[in-house]
Amino acid sequence: MTASPLYSGTQVSRVETPAAQGATELGVDPTEKDARGGRPRLGVFKFASCSGCQGVLLSCEDELLALADALEILYFPEASSHLQEEGPFDLALVEGSISAPEHLEQIQKIRARSKTLVTIGACATSGGIQALRNFGNLDDFVHRVYPRPEFIAALATSTAVAEHVKVDYELRGCPISKRQLLELITAILLGRRPEIRNESLCLGCKRYGYVCVTVAHGLPCLGPVTMNGCGALCPSVGRGCYGCFGPKEGANTEAMAQRMLQLGMSKDDVRNAFRFITGYAQAFREESARHE
Amino acid sequence: MNEQMNGKVSKEHDGTRTFRVEMLTRVEGEGRFHLEVKDGQVRKAILHIFEPPRFFEGFLVGRSLFEVPDITARICGICPVTYQMSSTRALEAILGITPSTGIRKLRRLMYCAEWIESHALHIFLLHAPDFLGYASALEMARDHRGLVETALRMKKVGNSLLEAIGARAIHPVSVRVGGFTKPPSPRRLQALLPELEWGLEAAQETVTITNSLPMPEFQQPYVFVALDGGADYPLEWGEQIAVSGRDPVPLGEFEKVFIEEQVDRSPAFHCRLPDGTPYLTGPMARLNLFADRLHPRAQEALERTGLTLPVLNPYRSIVVRAVELVHAFAEAVDLVREYTPPEPPYFEAPLRAGEGFGATEAPRGLQYQRYRVNDAGIVQEARIVPPTSQNQPRIEADLAGLGPELLAMSQEEATLRCEQLIRAYDPCISCATHFLKLDIREVED
Amino acid sequence: MTAPESSAAPLYRLEEAGLALLLEGLRRDGYRLVGPVVRDGAIRLQRIEGISDLPRGFVDEQAPGTYRLRSSGNGRLFACRPGPQSWKRHLFPPREPVVQLKRHGDSLEWRRPVVEDPPMAFIGVLPCDLAAIRIQDRVWMEGPFQETRYVARRRNTFIVAVNCLEPGQLCFCASMGTGPKAGQGFDVCLTELDGAFFLEVGSERGEAAVASLPLREASEEERRRLQESLKQARLRMGRTLETRGLGGTLFGNIEHPRWEEVAKRCLTCGNCTHVCPTCFCLNVRETGTLADGRQDRERFWDSCFSLDHSMIHGGYFRHTPKQRYRQWLTHKLGAWPSQFGTVGCTGCGRCIAWCPVGIDITEEATAIRKTSRGHVRMPQPRSAPVRAGDPLVPTPAQVKGVRQETPDTTTLWVEPTGPFHWKPGQFNMLSIPGVGDVPISISGQEGSGILHTIRAVGKVTRALTSLQPGALLGIRGPFGTSWPLRAVRGRIVTVVAGGIGLAPLRGAIRVMAAHPRHYPWVRLIYGARTPADLLYPEELELWRQLLHMEVEVTVDRATPDWTGNVGVVTKLLRAGRKVRPDGVYLVCGPEIMMMVVLEELRAAGVPEEHIYLSLERNMKCGAGFCGRCQKGPFFLCKDGPVFRYDRISFVFRHAGL
Repeated sequence: MTASPLYSGTQVSRVETPAAQGATELGVDPTEKDARGGRPRLGVFKFASCSGCQGVLLSCEDELLALADALEILYFPEASSHLQEEGPFDLALVEGSISAPEHLEQIQKIRARSKTLVTIGACATSGGIQALRNFGNLDDFVHRVYPRPEFIAALATSTAVAEHVKVDYELRGCPISKRQLLELITAILLGRRPEIRNESLCLGCKRYGYVCVTVAHGLPCLGPVTMNGCGALCPSVGRGCYGCFGPKEGANTEAMAQRMLQLGMSKDDVRNAFRFITGYAQAFREESARHE
Repeated sequence: MNEQMNGKVSKEHDGTRTFRVEMLTRVEGEGRFHLEVKDGQVRKAILHIFEPPRFFEGFLVGRSLFEVPDITARICGICPVTYQMSSTRALEAILGITPSTGIRKLRRLMYCAEWIESHALHIFLLHAPDFLGYASALEMARDHRGLVETALRMKKVGNSLLEAIGARAIHPVSVRVGGFTKPPSPRRLQALLPELEWGLEAAQETVTITNSLPMPEFQQPYVFVALDGGADYPLEWGEQIAVSGRDPVPLGEFEKVFIEEQVDRSPAFHCRLPDGTPYLTGPMARLNLFADRLHPRAQEALERTGLTLPVLNPYRSIVVRAVELVHAFAEAVDLVREYTPPEPPYFEAPLRAGEGFGATEAPRGLQYQRYRVNDAGIVQEARIVPPTSQNQPRIEADLAGLGPELLAMSQEEATLRCEQLIRAYDPCISCATHFLKLDIREVED
Repeated sequence: MTAPESSAAPLYRLEEAGLALLLEGLRRDGYRLVGPVVRDGAIRLQRIEGISDLPRGFVDEQAPGTYRLRSSGNGRLFACRPGPQSWKRHLFPPREPVVQLKRHGDSLEWRRPVVEDPPMAFIGVLPCDLAAIRIQDRVWMEGPFQETRYVARRRNTFIVAVNCLEPGQLCFCASMGTGPKAGQGFDVCLTELDGAFFLEVGSERGEAAVASLPLREASEEERRRLQESLKQARLRMGRTLETRGLGGTLFGNIEHPRWEEVAKRCLTCGNCTHVCPTCFCLNVRETGTLADGRQDRERFWDSCFSLDHSMIHGGYFRHTPKQRYRQWLTHKLGAWPSQFGTVGCTGCGRCIAWCPVGIDITEEATAIRKTSRGHVRMPQPRSAPVRAGDPLVPTPAQVKGVRQETPDTTTLWVEPTGPFHWKPGQFNMLSIPGVGDVPISISGQEGSGILHTIRAVGKVTRALTSLQPGALLGIRGPFGTSWPLRAVRGRIVTVVAGGIGLAPLRGAIRVMAAHPRHYPWVRLIYGARTPADLLYPEELELWRQLLHMEVEVTVDRATPDWTGNVGVVTKLLRAGRKVRPDGVYLVCGPEIMMMVVLEELRAAGVPEEHIYLSLERNMKCGAGFCGRCQKGPFFLCKDGPVFRYDRISFVFRHAGL
């Protein structure tokens, strides 16, 4: 190398850029070191949910052992009895909605102990199916289900984690997609931007080459206003998307609802279609309210 | 190696010993248990659930019956197929739809897939670490990598099969009232045959491995309850429920016989028989009641274990689960080999008001649902009974039964033993929560 | 594009059995047959074995937002109009690996996976779709770069076209000059008429394929019937679109209220772009995961309706539905002729049928034309010689040194593999395996090492600015246009730079600094946010000492020790002396800064053609493939980043273009 007057071949002092850590030296597996010199520390937490999104993590059969090598799993009750709840966590995956009084404090603690907090799944990102109770009166639901409601401690609403603490990334879906989960974990650890696209499900559907169920069969499908990520599963089996990944950015739900009415749905049908798995996500919530 | 596990140190004063685990691990969902023994007498044996309630039975009311399978799947991320299918069966009964043999076979295949996935997960990733002394399968993989890899590969076969049929393994999307939105192509299923055949052999091996695990001795007087699937091993279909030593119960009588009662001072529902006897549902119940209906390959496997029926040691359920794993693989291989897509893929019928019942066998036990709908197909009432709520009194009774012998053990050993026993039931806590007790009592000590 | 119908090209009659022989022959010759098939209630284009897979007896009914297959009541094989898929998915697959990274010890090698698919024979390409293939050829094959995998596939593809005698409700190929008779580009063309096929040959390859078929020369009567049928077909188009001057009209109506109106209906789902047989926008992503340890890249179909398509520095320049729909329509019908010498629309009607809410491109374009408020002159397409190599494949380079310029900006001194020729103003795509790649302007050269001054704003730039000497990275480039150093010789040159905008100008300034005879009078006006944000302070000082150069620096916010100017660059520009209309101005900086500088220059009477700008966009490929860096009819990556202002002034000031 030729020496240059301006560019020394030695390291210069620089501003610390933590987000790029791990991506600084190529050829070295960035997961081998972090600020403390250990593997990145993972916590998996659960609030109100069905455990299906953690199930997706456990369903990364081909990758699970590699992930377990790359990460230090500090807290993952569903998989391990070895629990270090105090963290600190480089990466916290949070499943489930905030729905019971004790959750309010628990999520604050998790946030405080976590460098990067990722919400996983429809419950954590929108309140989940149990947020359907938000549209009614909690007491009614409690009475309908429990003969002794005085023992039931639940918040009036089931809400997304982001309504309570800062969330760094979210993975949508009921359940989340395995591909997106692996991409997100990799991206966070390598310091790259996760390729989690906030685009319509239709784009995925068309890339796969599925036939549009609305245009070719007259079936209502929330694909045009729903975030892509699942792999356009419902159209792949000949049914319309029911929106489990929640609204895409800028979802034009009003035009979508007009089309659904044209296709023969009743006002009630349209309301219920938006008021479903991710019904408490803002765009869907507002649209369903228009069809009360 | 378990120094950081969360068993609490015993407080011995006035002769009371308490065994507690604040966070049950390697189970689906969140719970804890509390066992108190005083002067050799068990004073308290409680399995606490601290999953928040999710009110499924509440918000199902007012929804179209066609939406129900997609909603009930969300009760449980481990056995969504069970919930979808019990709903579907109940709602089909209301509409008077009898699915064709082709549809029933495809559903059975889907069940086999879910059983494979769930049993492989439970046997190796959740339960086996107890027997071999590890905190997790991931830790176990350090010494037994091959074993864990085999488990993951089996689990993957189950998931791949579920994906082929339902588009995704967790919360499949092709199931609908009346059948399937679109059945898979034969080619797609047949592509999985080599892995299924491998899995069948791996499952046989699993029986041998689990049967050789060190097994604590323990026995209780069990009443076994399982779906009666006619000539078939209990899975996705059945009109009545078998109860060991008692008369079978027609589905419509379920709620009269399996009574949900409220425990003293608690908001909990516990399912018991009318005389208050707790009962056991799940692999042990199925095997003890219907071993003769196992696939021949599974029967062979069972014979090789040398187990005598009835199996009464709950720790041995890990072996029973392995036998069922053989069954699921063997039946899946048969079903895939003979598969032709059902035509039509689903049946339709005019909407009408009515009440219907559906029960199927989740990997962890019997799952029952009842619906009442109006003539527009809108749900008026829903009742869902998951397996874990039925097993909960039985688990507590087991813990109580275990109590005296724990006194001779170190705290850590005793706590682990309790956990191992609870895990033998493969409890699925999240799915229990929408109606299971929320134990909001402070644990007193 | 349509060949004259009266051409006396030989026309043969072929019976259906003969068609079967043609397909068999193609298969025997090693072609994979791809053709229309009925599946899931629509025509899909997929692998076929022979004519028994073709949609005999089916025809489609199409309306905005609706498509249904029904029985045609006859035995015709090719009665269906375009379906949801187009041939592009076979030539330009929706997802495809573009780069594989191999590590050899300490060195890196990126490779393009080679196309190993067998050659394809497309059976039943409708005239509109044949035109679409030819339009995509221009995108991928006609320079300045070639998409190597497309080229490989395309050259091996045999095309059996089919003339269209039954255009549908949504068809307007006659308006677009693409049908109903197939234009150039087929190997064999069929017309299905009266239970037989009339065959024309379009290539030597086609000639060979039909050589042994039982052909009979068509009779005069048959020839006349065929002409008549095509003529009738031309009259039965369900829709029309007037294309004359349409580009200028669309770009002259960028703020037309119709865009707002259509945005209320538009779902921004992007279906139109993915069913369109010519839309080509793409994105590239890293595909490796921790679990597989790979660091490869794939490209996939993207859409101007996706927000991500316009992402730059974490923000978006096309966030409203109006801007996105307008981008699509103005590109398809307006910008395309300037970019590729042809309209991007073939009149196939897919975007109308497969829009879930049935938005009609012909209706929207016509609505704007009818209420047009202005017209602009669109630039002529420029042809460029084809360059060798695959523009998506990085070559390895090594960091020789780094220099922290400001708290958030670092210069990397990078040694490329082999000789590297660049011009001031051009940029490189710098790649970090597993992280991504970004466009970075070349800010100079030291020895054989190339300088890149990088501000850490996103993930890739953060990773780049964290590199240490000795680190390996990938380079693609150089791309783009350069500062007009030859054209400005002897002129009075004023350079106006803001912030990091000095970096792409530095190479040019260095040349001018070193050659006072050619550049006798150079004035540099440079502004930064704070004194600490000033780039290259020593070099500014060196330039200031040169007799032919004048260097003035200003900051937005001064610090206590700052004794220099405070304020915006325009303040310096007009301070002291008059802005000379006969001078030449080279400008680069934040868009808002450039806007005010341009206004200042306009006010001073400087002609637009005396001003050069360097623009910044979110290039992903650098080669004109990804479509992300478009600004009106321009690709910033190949038509820019340096523009003479008069060429782009009609689009520059519009946000969201």
